[in-house]
Amino acid sequence: MANNTYFKHEGPWSDASKEFLCSDTGSWRTKRPLIDNDNCIYCGFCAIYCPVQCMEQLDNTFVPDLNFCKGCGICAKECPKNAISMILEREFK
Amino acid sequence: MVEKKKKRLSKVFDYLKHEDPFAKGVAFCAGCPLELLVRFIPQVLGNDIVITGTPSCSAPVLMGQNTGSWHKLSYYGTLMTGAAANATGLVRYYNRAGIDNTVICFNGDGTAADIGFGNLSGAAERNEPFIYICYDNEGYMNTGIQRSSTTPFGARTTTTQVGVNSRGKNLRRKNLAMIMAMHKIPYAATATMSNLEDLAQKLLKAKQIKEKGFCYLHVFCPCPTGWGVGPDMSIELCRKAVKTNYFPLWEALNGNFSFSKQVKKPKPVKEYTKLIKKFNHLSDQELDILQKDIDYEYSIIKAMTKLEKEIK
Repeated sequence: MANNTYFKHEGPWSDASKEFLCSDTGSWRTKRPLIDNDNCIYCGFCAIYCPVQCMEQLDNTFVPDLNFCKGCGICAKECPKNAISMILEREFK
Repeated sequence: MVEKKKKRLSKVFDYLKHEDPFAKGVAFCAGCPLELLVRFIPQVLGNDIVITGTPSCSAPVLMGQNTGSWHKLSYYGTLMTGAAANATGLVRYYNRAGIDNTVICFNGDGTAADIGFGNLSGAAERNEPFIYICYDNEGYMNTGIQRSSTTPFGARTTTTQVGVNSRGKNLRRKNLAMIMAMHKIPYAATATMSNLEDLAQKLLKAKQIKEKGFCYLHVFCPCPTGWGVGPDMSIELCRKAVKTNYFPLWEALNGNFSFSKQVKKPKPVKEYTKLIKKFNHLSDQELDILQKDIDYEYSIIKAMTKLEKEIK
């Protein structure tokens, strides 16, 4: 999950080795991408066009990292086989 | 079956040779192609790059918050009036110190076309060896969607409203990429997020050519928030912009123009504008003016590509 960092003091520089910021963008999501593995042809368009670059490459499919997926739906729009569908988050609760 | 599937993996993956230096979750709007661009550049060019930039949409992430950082790259935040001049200073320091790296000046269209245009033009004239990347979202999106000089004719922004007295922006847009190519710099090109292979090739080409001098890349980056489109539409808009010749893809090496992708049968610009809320008030007459403007810009580039062949 995202780790929250609190600022001790202000400064003109930032140090990635000490305080690496990472926001919980998964909580922004209202729609979740679901991948239909039977239709997937492993072209990888979802992974290259994903702005968050959160698609993980597995053996014969791609899986979104739901901790950081913002739910924009670009993967579903760009999929040439329409193998990705966007489902409302509330249906998973 | 699995082997057959693996063969179809997109060619763009071959260009992503380096690791992504950014944190997994960064503070860009959902579906912003700018996030894809800032993650794509270090993955293609390598992590030994120094980015200089100005207050813009990219700054909150690239600059970091107080002492915290969103990424592992080096970033130098400057003022909008002196973006290219600061990059010049960095490049000269690195040359003198004997450090081999790539300086990228990463700005929006507000800095490149309006506020920092004098600097940009000056750096191009002095032929300073760095890469200037302008991401064109056609307005000052970070401060609240004001008009800039690359905003096209008829577009609705918060300073060019649609109402009784105004019908959106009533002036034509500035063709900045063409102006920069007219400086006869070693490399000037336009790219967009739908053609990522083309963008990767242009980035690598710019990294090679920047030894000789100034490289300028104009990247078309739609803004889902400011243009009034859904977050899933941004890549589709890039593709439509190329197909309607609204944003033709070309490159110019030392002033010699060539198309990177020439559309055989360009579609009318209505195909593109009907997708975007900022254009949906346009009448047929106004669309005609926009279409003529686009045809005019395209005819200049077409003429330039033919000119180059005749000289050769």
